[in-house]
Parts: sequence; structure tokens; C-alpha cells
Amino acid sequence: MRQIKFLTLLVLTVLVLSCEDTFLSPDLNTGINADNYFTNDTEIASGVLNIYDGIQGVNASKFTNNNLNHGVQVEFYVTEMRSDNTRTKSQEGEASQFEFFNIQATNGIVFDNYRSYYNVIFRANLVLDNLGAASTENAPKFEAEAKFLRAYAYFQLVRLFGDVPLVDKVIPPLDTETAFTRVSTTEVYNLIVSDLETAITNLDDSGSNDQASKAAAEGLLAKVFLTLGRYGEAQSLCESIMNPSRGFALESDFRDIFYSEENEEVIFAVGFLAGSNDDSQNFSAEWLNAVGRTSGVNYVTADARASLDANGGNRAQYSYRLDITQPSQYQVVKYLPDGDTDLGIPVTSSDPTSAGNDWVVLRYADVVLMHVEAILAGAQETTSSNALASFQLIRDRAGLTTPVTSITKEELLEERRVELAFENQRFFDLLRMGVAQDVLSAFSTANGLGFSASDLLLPIPQAEIGLSNGLLTQNPGY
Amino acid sequence: MRITLTNQTFKHFTIMNVKLKATLFLIMLTSISIFAQESYNLKGVVLSAADSTGLAGVTIKILKTTKGDLTDLDGNFQIAVKNGDVLRFSYLGYVSKNLPITGQNNIKVYLSEDENVLEEIVVIGYGTQKKSHLTGAISKVVNDKLDQIGVSRVDDALVGQISGVNIQATEGEAGSAPTIRIRGTGSLVGNSGPLVVVDGVPVDEEFLGSLDMNNIASFEILKDAASGAIYGSRGGNGVILITTKSGKEGKTRFAYNMLTGYKTARQSDSYYTSMSDAVSRELEFGPLSDRTLYKQLLGVDNNWQDIIFDGGLITDHSFTASGGNKKIKFSAAFNYLEDEGVLLTDNFERLNINAKIDYKVSKKLSIALKINPSYTERRRFDGSTHDILRQPSWLPLYLDESNIRFVNRFRDGGVYADAQIGGYAIQRMFDDYDLTTGQPDDGASDGTISGTDISNTSNTNPAAKVLERNRRDFDYKLLTSLSAKYKINDDFTFRSTGSLNYQFRRQSRYQGVLSNRNGAAASRLDSSTRTTTRLVLDNTLSYSKEIGKHEINAVIGTSIEQRKRDFESIQGSVFVDDSSPFISSAESVTDQNAFEWERTLLSFFGRVNYAYDDKYLASFSYRRDGSSVFGPNVKYGSFLALSFGWNIAKEDFLKDSDLVNNLKFRVSYGVTGNNDFRTGNELVDNYPYLAILDDTTTGVSGGTQSLVVNPLNIANPDLTWERQIEFNPAVDFGFFNNIVTGSFDYYTRTSDQLLLNNPISNTTGFSNALVNLGKVQNRGIELEIRTRNISKNNFRWSSTLITSKNKNELVDFADSNGQIQNVDSKRASEWINLEGNPISSFYGWVVDRDIPSQFITNPFHPIGAEAQDVYVRDLNGDGLIDDDDKTILGSPYPDLVWSLTNDFTIGNIDVSFMLQGSHGAEIRNMGDQYIFNHFNSAQDFISSTPNQGFIKQKIFTNDIIQDASYIALRNLNVGYRFNDKTISKLKVSSARVFVSAQNLFYITASDYTGFNPESINNTSATTYGYQRAGSPVFSTVSLGLNVQF
Repeated sequence: MRQIKFLTLLVLTVLVLSCEDTFLSPDLNTGINADNYFTNDTEIASGVLNIYDGIQGVNASKFTNNNLNHGVQVEFYVTEMRSDNTRTKSQEGEASQFEFFNIQATNGIVFDNYRSYYNVIFRANLVLDNLGAASTENAPKFEAEAKFLRAYAYFQLVRLFGDVPLVDKVIPPLDTETAFTRVSTTEVYNLIVSDLETAITNLDDSGSNDQASKAAAEGLLAKVFLTLGRYGEAQSLCESIMNPSRGFALESDFRDIFYSEENEEVIFAVGFLAGSNDDSQNFSAEWLNAVGRTSGVNYVTADARASLDANGGNRAQYSYRLDITQPSQYQVVKYLPDGDTDLGIPVTSSDPTSAGNDWVVLRYADVVLMHVEAILAGAQETTSSNALASFQLIRDRAGLTTPVTSITKEELLEERRVELAFENQRFFDLLRMGVAQDVLSAFSTANGLGFSASDLLLPIPQAEIGLSNGLLTQNPGY
Repeated sequence: MRITLTNQTFKHFTIMNVKLKATLFLIMLTSISIFAQESYNLKGVVLSAADSTGLAGVTIKILKTTKGDLTDLDGNFQIAVKNGDVLRFSYLGYVSKNLPITGQNNIKVYLSEDENVLEEIVVIGYGTQKKSHLTGAISKVVNDKLDQIGVSRVDDALVGQISGVNIQATEGEAGSAPTIRIRGTGSLVGNSGPLVVVDGVPVDEEFLGSLDMNNIASFEILKDAASGAIYGSRGGNGVILITTKSGKEGKTRFAYNMLTGYKTARQSDSYYTSMSDAVSRELEFGPLSDRTLYKQLLGVDNNWQDIIFDGGLITDHSFTASGGNKKIKFSAAFNYLEDEGVLLTDNFERLNINAKIDYKVSKKLSIALKINPSYTERRRFDGSTHDILRQPSWLPLYLDESNIRFVNRFRDGGVYADAQIGGYAIQRMFDDYDLTTGQPDDGASDGTISGTDISNTSNTNPAAKVLERNRRDFDYKLLTSLSAKYKINDDFTFRSTGSLNYQFRRQSRYQGVLSNRNGAAASRLDSSTRTTTRLVLDNTLSYSKEIGKHEINAVIGTSIEQRKRDFESIQGSVFVDDSSPFISSAESVTDQNAFEWERTLLSFFGRVNYAYDDKYLASFSYRRDGSSVFGPNVKYGSFLALSFGWNIAKEDFLKDSDLVNNLKFRVSYGVTGNNDFRTGNELVDNYPYLAILDDTTTGVSGGTQSLVVNPLNIANPDLTWERQIEFNPAVDFGFFNNIVTGSFDYYTRTSDQLLLNNPISNTTGFSNALVNLGKVQNRGIELEIRTRNISKNNFRWSSTLITSKNKNELVDFADSNGQIQNVDSKRASEWINLEGNPISSFYGWVVDRDIPSQFITNPFHPIGAEAQDVYVRDLNGDGLIDDDDKTILGSPYPDLVWSLTNDFTIGNIDVSFMLQGSHGAEIRNMGDQYIFNHFNSAQDFISSTPNQGFIKQKIFTNDIIQDASYIALRNLNVGYRFNDKTISKLKVSSARVFVSAQNLFYITASDYTGFNPESINNTSATTYGYQRAGSPVFSTVSLGLNVQF
């Protein structure tokens, strides 16, 4: 009997040992084991789409963890609200740090932007590192899309933060040197330019406007060149897009740019879908009065209203409106989720915090005005007929048909302001044209804000510095 | 004559007995016996004092004679005695009792269990051991009165019962789990909780919420690594072994226990600023502002704590039947509990059945079956206290006759035009009031609606957020096991146990139309189901042998474990109204999710316990665990333990000492491990060695949705066991006839290769990576002293003092040393993890002084608001405030935790109370930031404020770091046992009523502003100690009844 029991135990043990390999390695049934993935075009395409998804960001009204990446949905805080265009409705919370120019290194929105862009870069690098598995037919396109999106992220980072860590491949967590070493803007721009050149070579204009295209890459590179003072190259890129054969044109009705998606003016937009937690946005709701999570942000300043009233033509009514619930306040009209019957704008989402309005990154009017800027080439004034023609094109649509005979830098800046108001262009326009310090100082003084020269760069997030053991340096003034 | 005199003397003696010595007692008895009378037949029953069940086989002896008897199965006995005899009742594990015969009949004798008896048996992993032979740190808690504490969970009742075990009510909702830490925080990845084993079967910690305390016999807590090492990988944070009650041979017995009580919340005075306080504060500075005048006019003065802490009943009914014969023993228990909780809407209900059958097939073979189904339903307080308590006192909850006239029906485009009595009051409704006309401004005079504004939020009434949501957790659990024991011969026993735990949880969360300011558009339903199964198969062969003075107990075995979970959730959004809160009525399905995982464990283990002459003790154990969680090359971990003991009191020179009855030195060394960590994603938690792509999210391309793949984690194929290495010298003692007993332990527990979800640079594309990193040490002492101050028949008093001191230190943190983290990027208060200090130390600037009110933009609105900023100290004296002026501001771990229990028995009345305290912990009270409005620009400083360079936001300073120490009267229990005569007519064998109270007083440190210093939000172990108001400490007063028949 005793032997039998010993035997039983022995048998059980042996049984266990013999199946131990499979027993101790249960299969992963949900989720995908990355080791077996990125082996064909379909799989790589889903990785490419994931980069777009990174820029799209997470809808903060649907997923309420503050530490998620909100991508382009929080970009307006660090661009438009740091300019003379917008402010918070009630001057409260960390969002008000932007309008007061007293941004703290601990500001969560700054960190959100920083990590969101780097997350996009990571997603792009992941595709680029796995490009070997793609077919020779599709690999160039995948590479171009990844590089276009990576360039977009770096272009934002370098303008917002100055010198930043340069990550051009997937890095392991222990590579703290790459993660925390800031490299010069020149080096960052070198990568941006080379990425966009690849994108231009490998892409065409066949996709829809929420996908990277040759024109989108050309337009973005034109803006990069304008920033770098390489005006000639910028001009030829703009002219390439403006070639009628490319098929881009201004929408006849200014309102339709934002409320008739897939139109011929929008060159590149970040796509959103109403009613979907995964793919909707909440910035439209945040810009309203206490509909999103804030009580109201990106409200229009008196300064911006004055510009729009004076020079906006018929664009003014589709740019801002009175907040009927608080009649001393003014809201942005672009990207309304819940419509406006007076303006003939339809409701796009029954739940405004789950809005589907696409975010326009680049549109034809921007390219046309960049064309003017390239010809102006840093001078104070131009009478170039090409520049005048482009400039007139924009003003005509706005109903301002009086012919223009010369364009000063200030006029161009003002035109860009009213045409592209609240599209996250203003701050970068001021920077690029070299007037940010003067304009914002004057605006700050007039409104009792705290602007100083060091506010042109955002602080490097304190959270990153805290992890870096002193390796990562802070911008001056923080 | 003489006889009468003797009787009187004896009576006198009884009254005086407190003062008389036992020796005198014996002398007198001897003299009494001289005058003895004729013998008669005495009938009686011997019962256990703890549960009034009959004790079978109790030895009854008439002293000074050879006569004696044993009790039968029901505890009954019959013996011929005569007046003057002294009966001695003795029973293994119980305190013996002497009873002088004075003509009684039909007596009941209660024997109480002897906690100091050397033969006490202690449950250890995969076996039992004599307490006197223990060489590790194992604490046993017998359920004596634990089931009379008015709490809904068994772990809540254990507060203060065991040294080295800190049980903290970190969440206070009805039915929510406390945080249990045995000897400090060792592991850093979310789960530092102990392993829970019920009747030999490892279960998820969640089972602690569905057990019935009435049905639990005892807890054994394995505290040191040497004791826990037999559970290898899962013993790292200590082990709680729970033994439920079993049937005993004898007559079938029934017991009914009932408790019903009322719970009330402890409030914070600081979190209520009344209108009158606000007014007098403002008057100190000048005349009242229009705002304040208007607020007064509203005539409301709400303490929102009164509204959300609504108190509640707790009711507990338990019915047990148990019994058996030589072949079969059974126990069946039924329990129903309802706890209404002290928060608005929270509620917890439980049904639990536990059935155990033990069948002796033959002399060698026996089979045991246990079936324990349970059902719990929990309604949650679906909101946050900080959000509600930041509402001003002028705001009503509902509109009524008196306040509705202040509602401005014109403003905001007329959104409040339809406001009606009974509707929720919203701050914005009351804006734009014209103080001169005494009416809400309608804009008629000047074309614009303007007036006095008093709102500070556009949100809906926050109580509506709670009342208009319905969030429930339904748990169906089944714990079953079947085991067979085969006694091969006198030495060897083979045991095989298979167990199946099944847990099904359905969660449903409906957010109604009125719960959000966006109305129906924001209404939604989240519904999910989760099934978890856990199969464990244990086979052990044990050996037990005494050869002369050598005593050997050994066990070897294997354990196979498999856990599986599947989860599904669905979200529906936009409901037209609340009439049909089901997924079918949602306008659209906005989210769905599903995942499943499996994890397995394969173990081999063995242990040898050796004792020589009960004096020299040694124990050795070894376990090898293979876990599916780790990569192919690092699956296995080995965990060994060694311990030794020396019972000096058994040495010849102390054997006969009256002073020293027990003195044992023991020392243990052991290694345990941990493979359990929580990253927030269950797939990553179970397959961390794989790089996992999430394929459940979508992206937009060409205006349509497509699935994308997104990396969830950084794979770590080298990730392996976290280790806990513990060294534990200790001494157990018993002095003065065991009047004073106790133990003293010193331990150092070093956790290394910590499984850490370490924050990393976001430039990698991730914010965290799982690594084995760093070393944390917990060092401490534990002292338990139990005294029997007075032990007389009619008056007994005993005391227990339990103290634990622990010091936590981060010893090594490699490249991450000095890492600074925050919990919430919007309120980025900092924690530092710096070698030489406790892990997760609070970090920031030191407050110098407040900014005077005259420099605050608006010091009196909203009510109760405080400046958001404060002057801080220039610690390095360089004339400016920067990162170099930050310092460590405190630590979230208590230094000293103690409890003092006193038990009294005076005749039929018993009284016990426990004082319990915790000292030295701090918390970061983010509740203050919300409730005192530390985040609003209205509380900003004005531009003429001096020394602005020295001003920082309070959340970055020690302004909100507060002392979390407390002293509480944890339990007070007063019971009365009915006289046998009273109850025998009712055919009841014993009956007791009691009053029990918890936290009758609860004293906190003077700088603590909240209502529960134990409340801690669930954050990571490297950012521990974050409190956001949380839920309150509650006091309970209950009435209870125990009946046996």
C-alpha cells in the first residue's frame, strides 16, 4: 500500500514535469505578441495608422486619467492661448498660466504636449524600425507617412521647447543619454527636413486629406523653410502645391472649410469621428461655456476681435461669436460640435464632448499666404505681382475685393491672423516673422499680463527633469 | 451548629476571595472536608466558554481521591460527590478549573481556552505545529469576540489584533477593502498585500470581503519570511491563514448570532465654513461685500458633510448547525449581512453559506468536502467627497419655496426658466441677482442681464452626481475543495487536495440624465462581467515520528495552480431619460472591451521540523516555484528558510522555576518572493516578458475607423522574482505562573530585485517600464505582552499590549535614485525616492509664512477659500527659490502602531475594550487643495504683493502635508450571559446579549484637517500617501445576541 502511494506521488510529479513547458507558458489570447507581428503590409499599415492615432490623442472627456496623451487636442493651450488671440474664460486653473505668461515647469498641459509628441515619434520610429518586412511596393509609402508624421511632431517640439532630445529610432528605457540630452535646434531641423524630403519623394496626392500626402509634406516643409529663412525653397514648394494640376483650391464659402469635411481646401487634417470614445475629440466642447471638463477655454480676446472686425471681412462671423450664456464673453466659431442655427452650422455630435470635427493642420489658404511670405523673404514690404496675386486670392474670398498694391510684413501677419484665427498658427507666425517679442510685450502690457522674452519657449516638463538625475536641463527663466 | 458555621465561613470566603491567596483556599478546603456529609449524585455539563458548546472527553477528578469520570459527547457528566469535595475539570488546551462542592446540582462548568498552553496547535503552511515548537514569527488570533465587532468584513475586525500587521481603512465605503501591510511596505508594484489561504486553499484577496466572521475559528498570520517561505513566491508579503469552524463529534448544535448597529461618520470641522463664520471673518476686514450680503439673503447654511455622510444601519445574522459522530462530522453556516455604510447611496449586502463535511471512510482514509458559495451586492458612492465638500454653505441641495425666488430665469439664454421646486439647486442659477431691486436681474433696465454673481462653478449640484448615478458590483463566488487523507501507517500520511474557486463579477454603472451638466447627452451606462477561476491541486506526503527525545515532522509536496480570467465590457451613451437604464436603450454603443489571461504556478516544496527533548528546535524548508509570469529562462525561483529555537525554560535549571514558566529564544532566516504586480493593465501583469500590442483601439483614415495596433508595454524577458530576505531573532516568554506572557521580535526584511513599474522618460514612447530594481529595507520590533491581572471565579481581568515599530528605508535605487514623481500631472505635488530615506517620501518646499489677506485677489469668495500660495523658505540662503530649496517633507508610513486591550469578566458580565493608535505617518492632504479652493485665480495674490519670488503654490509645499497619527477607542464590548435557570426553560443552552461599539472616540493630530487620517488614494507605491478627502472614519454602536441550543 505504501509503495502505491509513493508511486502515485511520483507519477503525479512526473506528469507535472513532462507538461511543464506548455503549462508554464500559457498563450496570449487577447492582444498581440509583437514578436510575431509586423510581418506583412497589412500589419505595418495598422502600425502606420497608429501614428495618426497618436496625433489624434485621447478624448479627455471619455477617458479621464490626466496622465494620458491628448495629442493635438491640447495643442491650442500652448499655441493659441500663448498668443494674443485667446485666453481662458474665467482665468483659473493651470490653463490660465498660458495667458498670463507665468507657466510653471510643473504645468500638466505642457507635459501632456511634450509626451504626446514624443509618443507620436515613438510610434513612427516603430514603423520605421520594422520597415524591412514591408513589400518593396508599399515600403516607400509607409516610410514616407511615418517620416511625415515624425517631422510634424519634431517641428512642433522644436518651436515650443527649443533644443530637445532627438530620438530617431526605438530606444530602450536604459538609454537615458538619448532620452535626456537636448540637441541643438539645427540638428532637429536637419532631421525634419530630411524626413519631409523623403515624404515628398515617396508620396502622391491620392489619399484623403486625413492621410499624409505629397502636398501636405511640401506645405509643411515650406513652413519649415520659412522658419529657417530658406525662402527660395519655400517659394518653390508653395508653387508646386499651387500648380492647378494638383487640384487644390479655396472653398468659396469660408464656413465650409470647417463644416464640409473632405473639401478641396484642406490639405491635411487630423480625422475625428463623432460619438466614438476612441476617435472623437473634446476640444470643441472645451471651447464652449462649461460643456467640456473646463468652464471654458480658448475664449477670444478683445485684441483678436478687433483684428477680425477690422480686417476679417466675412470671415469674422465664422470665427467668433458672443457667448449667449455669458454675454461679456466671446467664443470661437470654428469647430463647433453643437452647431449654430443663426450661422447655418449643423450639429455634428449629439454629445458635444464626443465631437467629430476634424482638426485642420494645413489648408490651401495657409499655403497661399506662405507663398506671399516666401516672396517677401524677410523684407518689410513687397510689390511682387505673384505675391499680390496670392494675397488678393485670400482677400477676395473674404469679400475684401479692393485690389492690393503692396503688402507689408504687418499686413501679411494681420491677414494670416484673421484668415487662420484659432487654428494654432498665430504664435508660430509671430515667432517666424520675428515679431513675437514686440507684439506679445505690447499685448501683455496692455492687458496686465506677465510676458518676458523667456516665455517664448515652454519649460521642459519638471516630471522629465525629475527623472533625469540632472541630465536634462531647463530653459532659461523657469 | 458547626456545619452552619462552616457554611457561613465559606460564603464569607466567597465574597472575600479576591483578597485571599490560593494557598489559604486549599487549606480551608482541606479543613472543610473534615466536616463532609453524605455523598449524592451530581449531574452537570462542561461547556466551552467561547461558544458554549459541550466539550466531550473532559477529565473530571475529585481531588485527594482516585475517583473520576469523563464527559460524554455532549459534555454531560454524572458523578457521586459529597459536600466539601473539590472537582477538577481538565481538558487539553483549556484552563483547568477547580470547583468546591457545596450541594449544587445540575451545574454548568465553563472552560476557557488557554492561550498560553504549551500544547496549543498552530496552523502553519501545509501542516500544523505545536506552538511551543515554533521557530518562526506566527501570530494566532482566535475568534473569541471578533464576530461581535460591527464591521462588514473580516479584515476590518482584525485591526489592532496582531503585532506587525497594519490594517488601514484606506477606503471607507461600505464593503470596501482595507489596506493590509504585514511588517511594512516591501513590494513596490501595487500589491504589497498578504497571501490569503482559507482552509488550506489560496484565494484572491477579494474573498476577504465575502467571508462570514461568525464562521471563522481562527487566523494564523505568518509574518517572517522563514514561516512564509513554504508558500515561496507568494509568501513575500506575509500570509494570512484562515480556518473556518468545523463540526465536532457529539450532539447537533445550533447557534444563532445576531448583531444590529448604527454607523455614523466622523466629520471634519475644518471642512465646513458656516455662513456666520464667513461673515465674521469678512467683517474683521471691513464691510461685507455684495456677494456676501446676497449669500446671507439666501438663508441657507448647509454643512455638506451632513448631506453626504448619511449614516446607516449594519445588520448581521448568522445561523450555524454542526455536529457529527465517529464517521461523519459536519458544519453548516448561513450568514446574511447588510451594511448601509455612512456615505450617501453606499450599501453592502452579503449572503454566505459554508458547508463542511468530513467523512471517515476507514481507519486510514478520510475525505473532506467544503462548499462555500457567496453573493455580495455593493452599491457604491459614485462620486468624490472632495468634489461635494468644496461646495459653499449657501448652496441648497434642492430648490424649495424659500430659495426658488432667487433663481434667475433669464440668464444663460433662459436655461433655468423651468426651474421647479424639488429640482436640484445649481450654483449658476443664483447668479445675476439685483440687490437693489431684490429680484433676479432680467436685463429690462439696461438690456443686459447683470447683477451679483456668487457661483464659483458651472457644474451641476454635486450631490446630484452621486444621487443620479447608480453603480453596483455584484459578486458571485464559490469556494470549493475536496481532499482525501490517507494514513499510510503511523508515520506517513498522504493528502491530496483539489480546489476550485470561481468568481463572477458583474459591474454596472449608470450615470443618469441629471448627473451631468450636459444632461442626456452625457448619460451613459458602463456594464462589465468578469469571470475568474482558480484551480489548485496540492499533494503532500507528511511524516511524523517521535523516537525517544527526538521529534520529527516533515512534509514534501507538489502544488499546481492555474488561474484564468475573462473580462468583457460595454458602454452605451446617450439615454433619452432614466426610465430604462439598460444597454438596449442607449442611443449608441460607444465603447467595448474584452480580454482574457491565464497564469500558472508549479511548485515543489518540503519542510523538516525537528525538536529534541522539546528544548532544541530546528526547522528547514525549501520551495521551488515556476511561474508563467516570467520569461522562459527565468521562470523558476528558489525559496529557503532556516530557523532555530531554544526552550530555555525546559532546561533543568529553570524547569521548576515559578518565576520563569516559558522562555524561548528563536531565530529565523528565510527568503520569499513575489510575482504579483499591478501595472494597470492585466495583460501586461500576466505576460510582462512579451511585447504586447493592443489591438482594441481604432484610428481614423479616409474618414472611417480602422483597428490600429499600439504597443502596451516594453517587454522585459529578464524580469524575474522579487525577493524578500528576512532575519528575525525573537524571544517568547511567560513569567509568574504565566501571568505575564508575550513575545519580542526584531526583524530586518530586505526586499530586492523589486518588481517596479518604474517611471521612465516619455521620449521612449512609454511612461513606465517593468524592471527588477532596487532594494528596500524594513526594520522593526514587535512586542506583545499579555497579562492575567486577576483570575478569580467571579472576576477576571486580562490585558494585551501589542506594539510594532517599523522603519522603512530605500537602500538602493540604482540609476533611479533621487527620482521625483507626481500622481497627477495637473496637481503635480512631488514625491522623491532617495536612498537612505523611506520610499515615496513627500518632497517640496518648506512653508515660511502665509500671504496676508490684503494681498489676496479675493480672500472671501468662495466661502472658506484660502490663498492658493504661500511664502516658502530659502533653505540654502542663496536669495532665490529654486529646486535646490526643496527638501523631504515627510513619509507616509507610521513609525509606531499599537493597541491595548483589556478584558474583564465580572460574574455574568464581560467587558472588553481596545485602544489603538498609529503614530508618525504623514499624508499629503490634497482634499485641502479642493475644499479650500487652493487652485483658483480668485485666491491668487495681487501684483503689489512683496517678495513674489518667494511665493509658491501650497501643493508644492508642506502646507498640505499633515500628521496622520491617531488614537482611537477601536472596540468596546459589554456582554451579559443569562443565568442558566432563566434560559433552561427556553431549551436554550446558553444566551448572551452584548453592546459593541467601534471608534467611540477617535483623536487625530491637531494639524490634520480631514475626517480620516487612514484614508489614502490608490496610487503607486512610489507615490504613496495621497489623500483626496476620501471617506470618513465611522463610529458604530451595535446590539447583539448569541444563542445556542
